[in-house]
Amino acid sequence: MKRFLFAVCICIPIVSAGQVVVDTPLSARLTGYDIEAVLDPSSHIVSGDMTAWWVNNSSKPVGDAMMHMYLNAFSSNKSTFAGLGRWSPAGDDGWGWVRIGSIRDGMGNDLLGSMSFQSPDDGNIHDKTVLQIVLPQPVQPGDTLRLRIKFESKLPSPIERTGYKEDFHFVAQWFPKFGVYETAGMRQREEDGWNCHQFHSTSEFYANHSVYNVSATMPKEYIAGSGGMLIEEIDLGSNQKKVVWRAEDIVDFAWTAWPGYKVLTQKWRGVDITLLTTEKGLKKADNQFAAVVYALEYLDERVGPYPWPHLTFVDPPISGQGSGGMEYTTLFTSNGGGLVPSFYKMAEMLTIHEFGHAYFMGILANNEFEEPWLDEGINSYWEQRIVDHYYGDGYGLIRLPFLKMSDADQGRIGYISSPSRAISTNDLPSWLYPHGTYYMMSYNKAAAWLHTLEGLIGTETMDEVFREYYRQWGFRHPSGRDFIAVVNDVVTREHGNRFGESMDWFFEQVLYGNEICDYRISGVTTHKIRSYAGVIDGDSVTYTRSDRSSDTLYISRVSIERLGGITLPVEVLICFDNGEEVLELWDGKDSFKDFEYTRNSKVVWAKIDPFDKIDIDVDRINNSWSSVQKFTATRRMANKFVFLMQMMISIFTV
Amino acid sequence: MAVLRILGKGAARAASSYRLILLMWIITLVMILFVALPLKSFLNHLFGNSMAVEKLAGGFDLGLAGDLGKPFVNLLSAASSGGLLLLLAGIFLYTFFAGGLFASYATAWGSLGINAFIRESARNFLPFLMITLLIMVIIAAYTFVIVGIPMIVIISISEGSTPGSNIMYLFYAIWALGMPVWLFVADASRRWVAATGSGKVFMALGAGFRALKERFWVSYSIVLVILILNLIFIFLSLWFTIWSVPDKGGMVFLFFLATQALFILRLFMKAWRYASVCEKTAIPEKYSSTK
Repeated sequence: MKRFLFAVCICIPIVSAGQVVVDTPLSARLTGYDIEAVLDPSSHIVSGDMTAWWVNNSSKPVGDAMMHMYLNAFSSNKSTFAGLGRWSPAGDDGWGWVRIGSIRDGMGNDLLGSMSFQSPDDGNIHDKTVLQIVLPQPVQPGDTLRLRIKFESKLPSPIERTGYKEDFHFVAQWFPKFGVYETAGMRQREEDGWNCHQFHSTSEFYANHSVYNVSATMPKEYIAGSGGMLIEEIDLGSNQKKVVWRAEDIVDFAWTAWPGYKVLTQKWRGVDITLLTTEKGLKKADNQFAAVVYALEYLDERVGPYPWPHLTFVDPPISGQGSGGMEYTTLFTSNGGGLVPSFYKMAEMLTIHEFGHAYFMGILANNEFEEPWLDEGINSYWEQRIVDHYYGDGYGLIRLPFLKMSDADQGRIGYISSPSRAISTNDLPSWLYPHGTYYMMSYNKAAAWLHTLEGLIGTETMDEVFREYYRQWGFRHPSGRDFIAVVNDVVTREHGNRFGESMDWFFEQVLYGNEICDYRISGVTTHKIRSYAGVIDGDSVTYTRSDRSSDTLYISRVSIERLGGITLPVEVLICFDNGEEVLELWDGKDSFKDFEYTRNSKVVWAKIDPFDKIDIDVDRINNSWSSVQKFTATRRMANKFVFLMQMMISIFTV
Repeated sequence: MAVLRILGKGAARAASSYRLILLMWIITLVMILFVALPLKSFLNHLFGNSMAVEKLAGGFDLGLAGDLGKPFVNLLSAASSGGLLLLLAGIFLYTFFAGGLFASYATAWGSLGINAFIRESARNFLPFLMITLLIMVIIAAYTFVIVGIPMIVIISISEGSTPGSNIMYLFYAIWALGMPVWLFVADASRRWVAATGSGKVFMALGAGFRALKERFWVSYSIVLVILILNLIFIFLSLWFTIWSVPDKGGMVFLFFLATQALFILRLFMKAWRYASVCEKTAIPEKYSSTK
């Protein structure tokens, strides 16, 4: 009965929220926001009247509420975000902030006096990005907390994810937003409690899937877009209009308004895709749409369906570039590419990456603050697969006859060439990565070991891992351990004990360890086995010239070493001069291994990891050995250098 | 008609100085090999016996850059600084050779022997260097006025969304159309130095401008035609070189021969401009001498 009442209580806000965008609720919808916003383009202030609700789905009363007040990161130069001179305003008018004018609960109690700012991550008393509201009465299990909040949000400049430049407005991270109330057991948490982190320069997302009813009033000439579905545009007269949106089951709501936008639309399998771009961006709009469709198609088939009927993406003007490359599930910002030559697929890569966040962080709503690899790493891995699949025949970023680069290699280089690649484990909270290694660790290293995992278990199994991950954790909050549990389930199901009882040994090294992986061929030796000769039992035994010429047996030894601390099963392909190839499998655990062969042919080459499965190997040059040095390519490069220098000299001389 | 006649005579004179052009080619090649060969050896050393070098067979795989690590970054650094030094040395060297070439085309001696070529190159070197530097300064100032200032203005106006690049194309075109003027002045000035044996640089420049003014459109057209042909040739040569990816030893050798043949042709085209300007500038003197 208790359970029934609990379910009924949970359903009340869902029912009140109704269904407009999707047929059935995709998530538990524990939070929701109805916001009436008014944009004043001259002061760059958004005034909001918001009713926010949160359902206590725990089994205990909760006496407070925690909310993100992200825009306060731009309110002073001592906030955690702006610290160390990372951000400063463009002028006196450049500061950003969010201020609450009034706040009342459902009973009409004034809560202004119950508010205080907290700094759970670093204790910075100047940081005002996390708000705690002590409630007059605890919210009972199953009850809904309703807060009526009137607030003003001043957008910052220059734009850093959010902000304004002249008449361009990108309104993100703009309203007081609930943290996530985690119950014991959720994400391996021991006790119930709010999870609400400060605004950091490296990460910003962890929120419940929510329902948003948002209206924005603005001057009529402004063209607006958002992460919601457009419900209507109402002419208010006096050169003002109101745009009404609704969004369901997304983790954040952002919108943009600018008079200069050009609006283009396309449809893909029932999804209305809208591009807001600039006059210049129109030229590359087809490429941008193609990139989005590729990503939709690829992830839909290999991970799970894109569940919303709408998607908006923004190619901001040059002045608004600070908002480029951001993701708000059903709204993301790309970068049209500008002067980047068309052979370099950087803009497409960025579009695919930002769209991918609709899955990794949007649908699979992990805690980006605490486990950034879980969305940035996984999303980079998928972005690289998509780019390399659709563009350039495996060399997705650049594919010219004389120059090529795969997207996966581009990410891998970021990891292997970093001098700090072994500085920490890969599971740190985003703001704790030392020495500026957040990007390298969260994006590049994580993507490299995910490619390695794919190499080990196979692409089909990897895809099945993600399908299962989507099935189990879609519209919930998975942790890294939850992801690993899915990997273990699927790998055991598909491969039995081929990789041991679980894949924990893999994650302990690549995710929770900080060692590097490097195997190398230290040498290959071949000796001819002579005929029986010497002094035996006092008699001299010799061999004749004909014996010598008929000596055809060789003993060859391929010596392999493990230079790094990571141990992985590795394949070694050895080729003999009669064309025979032998594929060896080594568990890679010892510090060295010798493969010896006695046969009538010599080893001509040997390769560790011949099929490039181990992306995380930090040096692939030392993975192979050939008896013949082939320098044709370097000769060609030298010839080109000579000719280019000759031409340069002749051109620069009058 | 006069333009074609001058261009024809200029081509003939340039062709007759083939030994000088071959000398310039061989010296340039040797100079660049001093840098290129160690770079190649270092790159070979980085790969050693690794089969990863095969990934370069179909063009340079940038993915290898990370595996090659810091030594590769050092190699790139050495290549760029070596390249810069070569460029600087090359500018001096070609200024030097220009002295011999102009002496060959501006005097009645015809094609010089190697010794005379070197001697005349040495004699003209300093005034030629000064003229080259002055013309470079003039071209830089001209570029700043015609391209730089409009670009600054357009960028400041177009911040946001207004497209400005189309207007810039107009300024690029104006800039390109003005270039033959400066090249003609440079060539005619050097021709004056070579012909008179005087080292007075500013007088030489004055003579260059006077020569330009005399039958301006003929002067302008000569250099414009050669410049356009040169640009087409340079574009095609670079296109061929960059996009060619020979992957067999024999093909790489043929590629080397082809690129060197192209460079010799490029030297001939440069000499053609010198010789043609000398022909044009010499015409009034010839007329006056026959009177």
